[in-house]
Amino acid sequence: MKLGTVQNSTAPAEFHPARGPRTGGADDRDEAAVRVEHLSKSYRSNWTLRVTRGLEDLNLEVRRGEVFGYLGPNGAGKTTTLKILTGLLKPTSGQAWLMGEPVHRVSSRRNLGFLPEQPYFYDYLNGLEYLEMVAKLSGLGGADAGRQARHWLGRVGLGARARLVLRKYSKGMLQRLGLAGALVHSPELLILDEPMSGLDPFGRHDVRDLILEQRERGVTVLFSSHILPDVETLCDRVAIVIGGRLERVGTVSELVSEQGGSVEIRCAGAVVIEVPAPWRQALRLNERPGETLFTLSDPRFLQPVLAWMVESRLAIHAVTPQRGALEQLFLATARSATASTAETTEPERRSA
Amino acid sequence: MSAPAVAAIRRRMSVAWLLALVLAIATATVAEYAARVLPRPAPFGELAYYPSGRYLRPATLGHAETAADLAWLRAVQYYGERRRTDNRFDQLEHVFDILTSLSPGFDGAYVFGAFALAQEGGRFPQAERLILSGLEHNPRSGELAFETGFLYYVRPGGRDLRRAAEYFELAARLPGSPPSATRFAAFCRQNAGSLEVAYELWSDVFKSTQNQYMREIAARQMQRIHTAIENHWPSSAIDRLATPQVRIRSAS
Amino acid sequence: MSALVVAHNTYREAIRDRVLLGILVAGFAVLALTQILKPLALGEGLRLTVDLGLSTITFLGLMVVLLVGAGLVSKEIERRTIYNLLARPLPRAAYLAGKWAGLSAALWCVALALGTGLATLVALMGHAGYVGAIIEAVYLEGLELTVVTAIAVLFSSLSTPVLSALYTAGLFVGGQWCDDLRRLATHFPDAFGRVLTVTADVLPDLSLFNMRTLASNGTPTTLGHLLIASAYALLYCGCALALGAAALESRDFK
Repeated sequence: MKLGTVQNSTAPAEFHPARGPRTGGADDRDEAAVRVEHLSKSYRSNWTLRVTRGLEDLNLEVRRGEVFGYLGPNGAGKTTTLKILTGLLKPTSGQAWLMGEPVHRVSSRRNLGFLPEQPYFYDYLNGLEYLEMVAKLSGLGGADAGRQARHWLGRVGLGARARLVLRKYSKGMLQRLGLAGALVHSPELLILDEPMSGLDPFGRHDVRDLILEQRERGVTVLFSSHILPDVETLCDRVAIVIGGRLERVGTVSELVSEQGGSVEIRCAGAVVIEVPAPWRQALRLNERPGETLFTLSDPRFLQPVLAWMVESRLAIHAVTPQRGALEQLFLATARSATASTAETTEPERRSA
Repeated sequence: MSAPAVAAIRRRMSVAWLLALVLAIATATVAEYAARVLPRPAPFGELAYYPSGRYLRPATLGHAETAADLAWLRAVQYYGERRRTDNRFDQLEHVFDILTSLSPGFDGAYVFGAFALAQEGGRFPQAERLILSGLEHNPRSGELAFETGFLYYVRPGGRDLRRAAEYFELAARLPGSPPSATRFAAFCRQNAGSLEVAYELWSDVFKSTQNQYMREIAARQMQRIHTAIENHWPSSAIDRLATPQVRIRSAS
Repeated sequence: MSALVVAHNTYREAIRDRVLLGILVAGFAVLALTQILKPLALGEGLRLTVDLGLSTITFLGLMVVLLVGAGLVSKEIERRTIYNLLARPLPRAAYLAGKWAGLSAALWCVALALGTGLATLVALMGHAGYVGAIIEAVYLEGLELTVVTAIAVLFSSLSTPVLSALYTAGLFVGGQWCDDLRRLATHFPDAFGRVLTVTADVLPDLSLFNMRTLASNGTPTTLGHLLIASAYALLYCGCALALGAAALESRDFK
């Protein structure tokens, strides 16, 4: 289902990053929409007294107006971090600020829009009632809340079903409603936990558009996701957290260029050849109908490999360098983090 | 859905409905048979096993009045059943003790309980105990004082005119008593013992009570006194009539 | 302000829940039943109507508190609907106060509806003089239910719905025995007597809200009684909600 368009409905008020009073904190901090310093979260079992670690000494900064991707495998601590920022969890140690306000203050959430993972709603309400309620809770007055609720319901493609009770909503509809709930009060900061979850490709496309639209308006977006192509497309910067620790942070280009790229060599016809020993690890052969695809993972061997192919009278069609993918970086980082974890004795991990 | 599938579903539904109907009839038949054949618990039987109302009161969680009302309904059922059968009222005192302990302000229970115990159950001491406890809990009740006087006046085996007069006089001083209280006090002081006084007392009860059984008792007495006066019964017989007997056997 | 939003939503949830409708139907059915039983009561029909009517309001209201109130917070935590609320600028104490206020409002509606029915019935029976006492008794029962709701909300922030219902029911029962505890305390030596007295102080003194004996005779209570009961209810509710807020404040929503 496509999202609605903005043209024929009341658009939300324009947002500019500099709007609103600065509420304290150092000058540096005010530049950051989200700031986390030495954040840790541990859980202690009431029965066994065993300590499990959710987050360990996390330091992070999300600049105003940027789209920031927060990646990690299941149980890495992504949801733990987001819940600490939104006041649902209390950190064991460390501090965090939203728009310069410490997260333990209720006022830090005044300009925050949050979409939890797999959002749950009151199934006896309809979409309009739900959005009006959360709009009022976020500080909008009665008439404003109603207006914004109707606008955002239409914007996420649910305007025609304003009076449908939520127990009859599909998973995708609930996800859209959750997004609308996060945006209804025109927040300056959006924190989205798996916003693409439960959506079909059309839905995911529309959510991407929505995120980009918010970026244009100057809204800061912090979101966690498993769908790496979306992260590559949308994010200005990305952080990778593994085992409760921040492993990598940077722009997508910076991160993937570290990986280096592989080279793809296409040859005509089926090739029956033995790859010389020095290149056996780096050079993979893949037969396809009508062609053979060689993938060289280490570009340093490109020249000697090409020379060998020419000498072997292989019919080379194309030589194409491949840019390093975020997925590769992610997997490599996860493997490396897991390997270093296995070498040390650590408390058990736990996810929120 | 295909026609054969729809037909199959309909068939299963029909079988289920039919089975339910047959089982319902069978269940009702067994229940009726059981009601005829098996011994039934006596109505009111459960109340007989309850401890004193004083201990029952905390268990009512602040709703002692309602519990007393429900006990009252059961007590009335019990009385009616016993009146129709063997006229034995063995549990009556215990029940009214519970009732009035739960609701010490329940005037009607004291009056009906006392008269039922005295007139029907032949247990005047228990009746006296009950109605006096009522007066103890409700010392400002003119109605209860009057009924106490009346109880002594119609005491089976011989009127207690002195006590009757005392309570009629008390009633006359308290709110809620009938206007005739003073008059009856005077009659008792004069040791009247006359049929006319007795007739007036019973007439007063007949007019004022809403308790159906009390009205029946009063009506019976009035009829007997009227018959005695009409037929010029001998004085000894009149004396006996003016002194209510232990048991009233039939509604003549 | 945000507490009112939560209260409105909670009220809406209670009203849309079929339990409340069933409770109202049951209440009016009991009132009808009193008229059917009246002939069996040998002249005590008025007393039966008033007593049963008032007791019905309390017990049906209690049922709503145990079925709905005991799970008010814990179910939200279990279903995670609370995330959408607490991630907003909504203090947890305001959230709790809103939940209590919303359910209390629904219970007051039930008490008012059934109380109006009872008063009307008694007036139609020719005893309009009883209406004043009935109104006062219903008001006190409303206060009683408000206090029990606060207790249910407190336990709901701490425990599961089933345990909350049990604890709430336990305090309801205990609260009927405060007078007995105080009386019992005088028969024991100082230390134990003191323990009993403190227990009676901690338990909600629900006998303060009981004027059913007076209403049964059509006797109104004093203004002083109504004021003291109102003040006590407000204070006890405030205390229970403050404890609940403290419990919720320290809670992590994993």
